[in-house]
Amino acid sequence: MASDKELSDCLKNVEKRAFKRTVYAVRDEDAALDIVQDAMIRLAEKYHDRPAAELPLLFQRILSNATMDWFRRQRVRRSVMQNMSDFDVGGEGGDFDLLESLESADGMLGAESAAETVSRSQTLLLIEAQIAELPARQREAFLLRYWEEFDTAETAVVMGCSEGSVKTHCSRAVHALAKALRSKGIVP
Amino acid sequence: MNRHLPDPKLLPDHAEALEGQVAFRLAAYLSRGAEALPHEISERLRFGRERALAKVPRRAAAVQHAPAVAAWIGHAGPAAVMGGPPSVWLRLASLMPLVMLAAGLVMIQHHHDLQQIAAAAEIDSALLADDLPPDAYRDPGFSEFLRTAEAP
Repeated sequence: MASDKELSDCLKNVEKRAFKRTVYAVRDEDAALDIVQDAMIRLAEKYHDRPAAELPLLFQRILSNATMDWFRRQRVRRSVMQNMSDFDVGGEGGDFDLLESLESADGMLGAESAAETVSRSQTLLLIEAQIAELPARQREAFLLRYWEEFDTAETAVVMGCSEGSVKTHCSRAVHALAKALRSKGIVP
Repeated sequence: MNRHLPDPKLLPDHAEALEGQVAFRLAAYLSRGAEALPHEISERLRFGRERALAKVPRRAAAVQHAPAVAAWIGHAGPAAVMGGPPSVWLRLASLMPLVMLAAGLVMIQHHHDLQQIAAAAEIDSALLADDLPPDAYRDPGFSEFLRTAEAP
């Protein structure tokens, strides 16, 4: 069973990334704060007796569900649902070759990139904007796999899908991000 | 001979490695952004975390006292909970121990006075009820008699 300190440390460790991840999804800081707080409360109330090692995974799953709940409420309220039905990349960009793009940089991945022309903060804003533009499932897979650093199996558990789907979502997300950023002069 | 081997760039492992390289580089940017959140957002997250920790069932017993304390204090207001300046009610409540101490001292003094009065009344009633008139104690000869009678 996780101690109070372990639970507190777990929440402290994930809260900022959880907030940003939720902002990318809902695009509303106040709503994101409410969702993250709701997820933290659910974790503390219902899963405090779980081993500390399970808490991060549980929290991410709760956060995903809380975000989905928020979208459902919004859908009921507005009768309009946007940015949530897009589960695939579509045909566009199919001819973009990440490998070719990366190899053309001669292995200098991001070594110089756009740092000479764009400040770091501007680069970050561009990256965040492109991540927010990703389809929801791709964004979720990308952030869980590479930002939260879950492995493919754990990401699949959180997302409730197969490992193959996770790999597909991640691959498409990386290609889409690389293409979008490259079009703005940033070599990821 | 190598013409029969697949292009290494097309190997799935190679592609995955490159994708991972790009993805982790982007994630590093995101981490920098997350660490540089505005103070207000960080504080709201901290408040949310503390609120969540207070909801842990094993802490419920301690937290259950909160409504009673709040009722006793009156309407302390959310500022007291959030660490803001204390309200008038909270300041008044903090004076309660001093008021109770002063009231206790007054009651002790009053009880002491009552005891002295009771003792004096007991002596008076004993004197009045005795066969010997009280004026006898004013007589120097009787006083001398008492002293010599008590002496061994």
